Amino acid sequence: MEITFAVLLWGVRILFLVLLYLFLIRVFSSLQRALATENTIAARPTGLAHLVVQRTVRGAFRVGDRLPLRAVNGLGRDAGNDIVINDEAASAKHALVEFADGEWWVEDAGSTNGTVVNGEVVRSRERLQYGDELAIGRVALRLEQ
Amino acid sequence: MIHAQAAVPLGRGRFTELSLLIWVATLAITGFVAVLATETSSFRPTAVVVPAVFLALMLSLHVFLVGIRFRGDQILLPIAAGLTAIGLVLVQRLASDLLLQQLSWSIIAAGAFAATIVVPRDLTALARFKWTWALLGLLLLIAPLLPVIGREINGARIWIKVGPGSIEPWEAVKILLVIFFAAYLEEYREVLSHAQRRIGPFPVPPVPYLVPIVAMWGIAMLVMVFEKDMGATVLFFGIFLAMLFLATGEAFYAIIGLGLLILGGIVAYQLFGHVQARVDTWLRPFDEDLRFGTGYQLVQGLYALANGGLIGVGLGNGMPDRIPIVWSDFVFDAFAEEAGLAGAIALLALYLVFLYRSPASRFPSLPTAARRL
Repeated sequence: MEITFAVLLWGVRILFLVLLYLFLIRVFSSLQRALATENTIAARPTGLAHLVVQRTVRGAFRVGDRLPLRAVNGLGRDAGNDIVINDEAASAKHALVEFADGEWWVEDAGSTNGTVVNGEVVRSRERLQYGDELAIGRVALRLEQ
Repeated sequence: MIHAQAAVPLGRGRFTELSLLIWVATLAITGFVAVLATETSSFRPTAVVVPAVFLALMLSLHVFLVGIRFRGDQILLPIAAGLTAIGLVLVQRLASDLLLQQLSWSIIAAGAFAATIVVPRDLTALARFKWTWALLGLLLLIAPLLPVIGREINGARIWIKVGPGSIEPWEAVKILLVIFFAAYLEEYREVLSHAQRRIGPFPVPPVPYLVPIVAMWGIAMLVMVFEKDMGATVLFFGIFLAMLFLATGEAFYAIIGLGLLILGGIVAYQLFGHVQARVDTWLRPFDEDLRFGTGYQLVQGLYALANGGLIGVGLGNGMPDRIPIVWSDFVFDAFAEEAGLAGAIALLALYLVFLYRSPASRFPSLPTAARRL
């Protein structure tokens, strides 16, 4: 009886370690799968959709320019952005446009002059539909497929 | 819109999360069974009560996330749950009278987790009230030094009295100051990184913008000298320098800051006994004069690690009582003794994945990173 208890207890202790590692392995494989999915989406060539320039300023785009979008796009005045908006009214890092869960989203990145969708100021993160007009600084862009 | 949704048919359920949580469940139950069976020399069904409550909590969070169709990460919650489960097992093992308290904190944390998802995030408020956060952080930082509410425990003055217990305000200070740094640096980044004047290769930004940097250094030194908390000092100043470097891209600031920290450290080492004691204990804990003095805790902890070996002595089977303040400071050593090097590495690996997976590491831009903390 005593011996069985001791053996069982050791079994449970070792089981704990085994489970810890099985959990860790599952975490890693889930992580790998999640990263693979995310990378496919991120690496998906541009052309998921376009932002078409509606209104612009000197030195920025020309009206009618079609700017291809990736899954995640930084918009702003900095050269490091995916879409560089050469307008003093735009902040260095102005907004983020991303494709997530099958929909397009716009998020203001703490810009000085704000991000406007269809005349409404974006509070934090808002859904973008095709045909919506996105205004950053004095530049206006329309989301098209 | 409907057709855009149809393009991504997956992601309805959160099966990855659910399956990982099931692994956490098995882990929590075996941990509790092992510890309690050792204690009582028998298997009792009561051993599963605490893990069951905890797992019900985690499962309800999962159901909540599925319910609101949350589409975010599915790995973070199970890792946090796994780490918390191991934490509960260790509380049961080392200080079972605190188990209920620990469980209550888990419930509060779960509530806070759900709240951050539900409450609309107007994160600009964080930036707008940056000076409020800074002031609040500083007050909390200094609070332990005040006569009535401050408390000194084991030579470190980092607690404040709240009701019957005491809390470590430092935990809240960390978050408040990170928010402040982020907002401040975001606003003045351009001034700091495009300094008009340069002395040799060094940028010299206008003096007023440097004041906060020097002030932060002063505060860090203050904390080290008066609150006797080295870890907090290094962490606090380290976070600040890292964020400054991220924001400005000027290695110069980081180097100067590091130099200042080292300089301050050397001066403090010469002047203050408790700083000396900490450094000596770290460098030569086994020395004759420290082994049974200030180095005792550390040495006992090291022996515990050694005793654990590769796979440990088994949960519940170690000798954590040999480490004086094991339940608050050296929990890791207790775990490493009972689960061995294997268990300790797995635990650290979980933390590593958690860190890697946290949103901040995937959004390198500073305002975004800081806002998503």
